Amino acid sequence: MAVWIQILSGSNEPIYSQIVEQIRQAIAKGQLGTGEKLPAVRKLASDLVVNPNTVAKAYTLLEQAGMVTTKSGSGTFVADPKMRTSDSADMNILFERTDALIGRALNLGINRDDLIKMFSDRVNTFVKNNQRGQK
Amino acid sequence: MSEIVLQTESLTKYFKDKPAVEHLNLKIPKGCVCGFLGRNGAGKTTTIRMMMGLLRPTVGGCSVLGCDSQFLTPQIRQRIGYVTEGHRLYKWMKIGELEKFQRAFFPGQWDGKLFNDMLEYFELSKKQKVKNLSNGQRAQVSLALTLAPNPELLIMDDPTLGLDVAIRRQFLEGVIHLITRQNRTILFSSHILADVERVADRIVVIDKGMLKADCTMEQFRNAIQKFVITFDKQTPADVNVEGAICCRSDGNLLEITVVNTAEQIIQDWAKNAGATDCKLVQMTLEDQFIEFTAPAKKGKLFDWEYKCQ
Repeated sequence: MAVWIQILSGSNEPIYSQIVEQIRQAIAKGQLGTGEKLPAVRKLASDLVVNPNTVAKAYTLLEQAGMVTTKSGSGTFVADPKMRTSDSADMNILFERTDALIGRALNLGINRDDLIKMFSDRVNTFVKNNQRGQK
Repeated sequence: MSEIVLQTESLTKYFKDKPAVEHLNLKIPKGCVCGFLGRNGAGKTTTIRMMMGLLRPTVGGCSVLGCDSQFLTPQIRQRIGYVTEGHRLYKWMKIGELEKFQRAFFPGQWDGKLFNDMLEYFELSKKQKVKNLSNGQRAQVSLALTLAPNPELLIMDDPTLGLDVAIRRQFLEGVIHLITRQNRTILFSSHILADVERVADRIVVIDKGMLKADCTMEQFRNAIQKFVITFDKQTPADVNVEGAICCRSDGNLLEITVVNTAEQIIQDWAKNAGATDCKLVQMTLEDQFIEFTAPAKKGKLFDWEYKCQ
């Protein structure tokens, strides 16, 4: 299965981290299932028109986070979810984004309880859709 | 450390009594794509011309693929692809004649299929005369002529100057195509930082003829950081921070850009100065380059508020 990645050059987010983020999203949404093969570094570099080292760095970071595993000679594959780890940096990013979201919601005048309910509904829908995607 | 393919040693060039390049010490390792950055008149073209042996240094020297630039042999030149600024080609020739002319300099290494494929992709015919080509088409022909001999080292002097976005992208694709073959090295100058960020893994920055940075893209991205510091009242009048290159204050907000300063040092300084918050903000490569090479002058070029009064 092909992954669709869009690179925004001239962004304040480094290109390797854009790749990491979008592959993580694709895995989370089930577009890339467990055991699926990622494109080869050179192929993806050539498709995205970015330096191969940038793609290699993104793959290394994904591997360190346990999102993918590399089998020498055969390529990079989406790892079993049990192998995934999250470090404090990941959690900080998550907190930062949640805070931004909460701030935005409060600005719109949504109250605390409605916000919590909305969030839990969205999580349920996402998980349901994701399970369907992986079947 | 891998092999060095391009090296300059206190490379210096004076035009009359004006220095264009001063004591440049560069080392470009094999296999990298190096973006060569500097503002207009910083000395990029002069440096490249000295590397190619087209200009004699006043002091110092450079070597390319292990050979002194002033004594490059035809055998060494065959391993180098060089794209000059403005893509100058012989106007009276047809594209087919240019190919014949160019391939004679690269016996046994001309990839005719690659050349033909590129022409086909660019929708160009060998019968077209150079003088009738647009700027973009000349750039495309020049790219095809440079890549066809499959050079080990590619040096391009602002290859995308004045080109439209589509042709610029083709150049970047050409660079990636070459780099995905083993051990190719590329040095290119450009003012389009978004392009450089895409394809380069190393950057060299020169300013007023002097070297300001020679490091990996990642090191450069990490070295220049911006902090936004919030104070209760007015920002302190005296900002004495290690490595600060740029500093702006607006009411109770202070914005500092630093080079090679650990985040902790800034956090500690902010705390001591009585700040209520100190945040690291991510910069674009373009912002980093501007603040690195053109520290803000006092006031702005256009001060609208002042004019409106």
